[in-house]
Amino acid sequence: MLSPVSNPRDSSESFCSSPGAIEQVRYGCSLGALASVIAIPGAVPITHCGPGCATKQFHALSGINGYQGGEFHVPSTNLGNQEVIFGGADRLDELIRSTLKVMTADLYVVQSGCIPGLVGDDVASVVSRYQKRGVPIVFAETTGYRGNNFSGHEIIIRAIVDQFAGQGDVPKQQGLVNVWSLLPYQNPFWRGDLSEIKRILQGIGLEVNILFGPASAGVEEWRAIPRAQFNLVLSPWLGLATAAHLEQACGQPFLHVPTIPIGARATSAFLREVVEFAGLDRNRAEAFIAAEEKEHYIYLRDFAAFYAGCTSQYRLPSQAVVVSESAYNLAVATFLIEQLGLNPGPMVISENPPPEHREAIEARYRALGEGAEVAFEQDGFLIHQSIRQADFSGELPIVFGTTWEAALADSIGAPLVEIGYPCTDEVVLSRAYVGYRGALALIERTYTTVVRASTMG
Amino acid sequence: MALNLRLPQVETRDQRLGTITQWEGSATQLARDSAFTYGCAKGCDNGGRRLCEQSSPFAQASMCAEHIAVTNATIIQQSVVIQHAPIGCSASQSFTARYYRDLAARRGWKLEDPKSICSNLGEQDMVFGGVERLEQTIRDAFARHNPRVIFVATSCATGIIGDDVDGAAKRVEDEIGIPVVTLHCEGFKSKHWSSGWDVIEHGILRRLVPHTPTKQADLINVIHLGGPDVFTPLLAPLGLRVNLVMGGNTLEVLARCSEAVATVTMCFVLSYLATGLEQEFGVPEVKAPLPYGLDATDYWLRDIARLTGREDRVEAIIESERARIAPELAHLRKALAGKRGFVAAGAAFAHGLLADLRELGVVVDGAFSFHHDPATDSGDPQQDSLGHLVETWGDVPNYTVSPDQHFQAHAALQRAKPDFVICRHSGTMAVLAGRMGIPVLPIFYSNDGLGYEGLLTIGRAILGVLPRKRFYDDVAAHSAFPYQPSWLAETNPYALSAEPA
Repeated sequence: MLSPVSNPRDSSESFCSSPGAIEQVRYGCSLGALASVIAIPGAVPITHCGPGCATKQFHALSGINGYQGGEFHVPSTNLGNQEVIFGGADRLDELIRSTLKVMTADLYVVQSGCIPGLVGDDVASVVSRYQKRGVPIVFAETTGYRGNNFSGHEIIIRAIVDQFAGQGDVPKQQGLVNVWSLLPYQNPFWRGDLSEIKRILQGIGLEVNILFGPASAGVEEWRAIPRAQFNLVLSPWLGLATAAHLEQACGQPFLHVPTIPIGARATSAFLREVVEFAGLDRNRAEAFIAAEEKEHYIYLRDFAAFYAGCTSQYRLPSQAVVVSESAYNLAVATFLIEQLGLNPGPMVISENPPPEHREAIEARYRALGEGAEVAFEQDGFLIHQSIRQADFSGELPIVFGTTWEAALADSIGAPLVEIGYPCTDEVVLSRAYVGYRGALALIERTYTTVVRASTMG
Repeated sequence: MALNLRLPQVETRDQRLGTITQWEGSATQLARDSAFTYGCAKGCDNGGRRLCEQSSPFAQASMCAEHIAVTNATIIQQSVVIQHAPIGCSASQSFTARYYRDLAARRGWKLEDPKSICSNLGEQDMVFGGVERLEQTIRDAFARHNPRVIFVATSCATGIIGDDVDGAAKRVEDEIGIPVVTLHCEGFKSKHWSSGWDVIEHGILRRLVPHTPTKQADLINVIHLGGPDVFTPLLAPLGLRVNLVMGGNTLEVLARCSEAVATVTMCFVLSYLATGLEQEFGVPEVKAPLPYGLDATDYWLRDIARLTGREDRVEAIIESERARIAPELAHLRKALAGKRGFVAAGAAFAHGLLADLRELGVVVDGAFSFHHDPATDSGDPQQDSLGHLVETWGDVPNYTVSPDQHFQAHAALQRAKPDFVICRHSGTMAVLAGRMGIPVLPIFYSNDGLGYEGLLTIGRAILGVLPRKRFYDDVAAHSAFPYQPSWLAETNPYALSAEPA
């Protein structure tokens, strides 16, 4: 019955399996990466799994998480008794055939879940028959018990790159960059953030394959991946496997910037790093940076009135507690400490990053100054237990976290700003928290929360 | 057929009731075929044919029984729910927590997150089994939260690898001294998610309802899907106290089930528990059709009064309630006159909403039911809610049974072209309708349409959503669904299917 043979295309070996049970779950399973497929304009996932799997993943990652919505009408084999006993490959074949009759897409990504993994369906050979006929379709083995939606995200990217985008040493287009950053839908602000990242990179003269979200041109960007001059990995670890693979497969170098910049100081420094790496026109970039900073600092100048003195009746927080996946955790912690001048409180990274990346992440936090330390923990009970034991004496803490932190924040008398999954108390459309413009929105949300906590709490 | 409470696994409703999920035709035909196939106690005229299920080569993501079972276990207070599953099954934790907190606010419970734990099975567990991990998780759950009951829900993965979940539960239960109730809810085992209701109700009946001799002559069980208590205002004047079961409970409420004088079920999809209470504990089940619409509500109240010996009071209540709502009902009927509605909901609940709309004077000739139960567990033809709908309100010419399939719903709405949609399970249908430029009223709390007041609640809510057409039209004009042009024009939800086998 069992077929635990790992697929050569499966990069989930990098996934560190959890040592124990998890309370207050903070991510989806590998199949949940169907959200990443839905995030690509023109792409449709075809799921080969049980009847509730795809819906549960997307409803959790999108529906209740910032109420993001999204195109969810995903073909699914909805496997039942018959397929569990006799195998589901024929049913998948029938589903793909009928999908091509009913739906229209620029790219289909077949994703398998737990059941085909356990009963041993040969999904790859079903899909390859359609590939041979020229159908734009790829197969990603996103077995639920083998990883989470972060590792699943890398699996689907790898599948599209290897089976669809084409590889090889094609001529490179100077100034074209592929961006690998936030995990779509998992991070409720990914749409606005990716738009802002694209905007600022364009500002310094790059052409940008942002690849996911409303700012993406869709599947044609994915076809252009091999032509890019370089890959930009803008996250602590997610995307590194993809960039390393593209370096090998397409001869593309990559720039890894672990901390997504929030605020003018960080964003300008980031852009200058990209300019140097890509050999862009410095004058053009500096002109863009100057214009952005001019506007940005007018807002900060005026916000200083609030931050300096008009607020003596409010309890402005002095210490930041951050609980989230690593990309936002590091970015937000850095902004709060370096830009706004808060003290570091407990920081917990919750998405189970591969062990080989953890030391580098820890070093980033230590560099933020004394007392800035990060822990890795996925279980909500243990996360809260450790934070409650922290010493908050003399501090007014504020929590940046998820819906799960509401009770914790209450218990330590702190306001809560939701920045990660699950995020059930924010309605999010295009709001961004990164870059120049995002930083202003993050300040707005943070201090609106503070004022309300002081006046309504 | 008697319910079998000896086994920890519930027999699926596919087996017990002949539940189907795919069918297309008229409501009259479906009612006749159901009666013909599953019981002619009503004097079936043999004009039916065997109920044949459709099939479709194309299908879209649906829901599973585990989702329903786990949600409804999670909202039982002072419990911990363990999902013995790979991590993905527990993606539901965030929305069950939201649901719990919303219920808590509405019902006046302590505002807190419910306690749910995933055993988080990985590849190694698939090879070597996850029983040890489960046992440890149950112990952890007990140590962390000191619950009064622990539920252990199975998953597709544990069902396939064959973990002895009952053995593990029993072993740890003996250690910790509180009930550890197993919920066998593998998603692949039933065609329809509503089997999850049977799973949790089976668990409750087996483990949480004591065999007790003390009866409370004024206590009536009301089994509902969830939401605020709209029943006490209806039943308190009869001198009855409501024991509101399912949709969020204390363990005391569940324990009292066997002490009640009768049980009413607000949606026959959940009738397993009521039938079980009658079979195992002698608590009679009110079999009258559900109280949707004026006459049905009268009849329902009379049946409760008869069963609980309160016939002397009931007519006065009926008269005063009817008089109370009459002015606003007249206003709503006038405002809704000529409007065309469309109903999408699960079986008996859909039948109820259809009755409400017709009582409000709305034209409804299309409906979308997420499954169909040709019979109920009691086998009593009075509970044939579709038959009752057709007899009372006439046919629904276009009646589609589909497990919330987006592409089929699109075709059904193309055919019906309604002025509004009223739906449950707001995922697929609500978004679809809105995107097609059709105002939509999603019903989260299913009690909204019940009884006399329910007509007003639904009527007001419809009037509230109609003006949103301005927004939906705008969105519809600027977005498209990724279907082939031929499917976008299709008006037959089952156009892809072969003839019924």
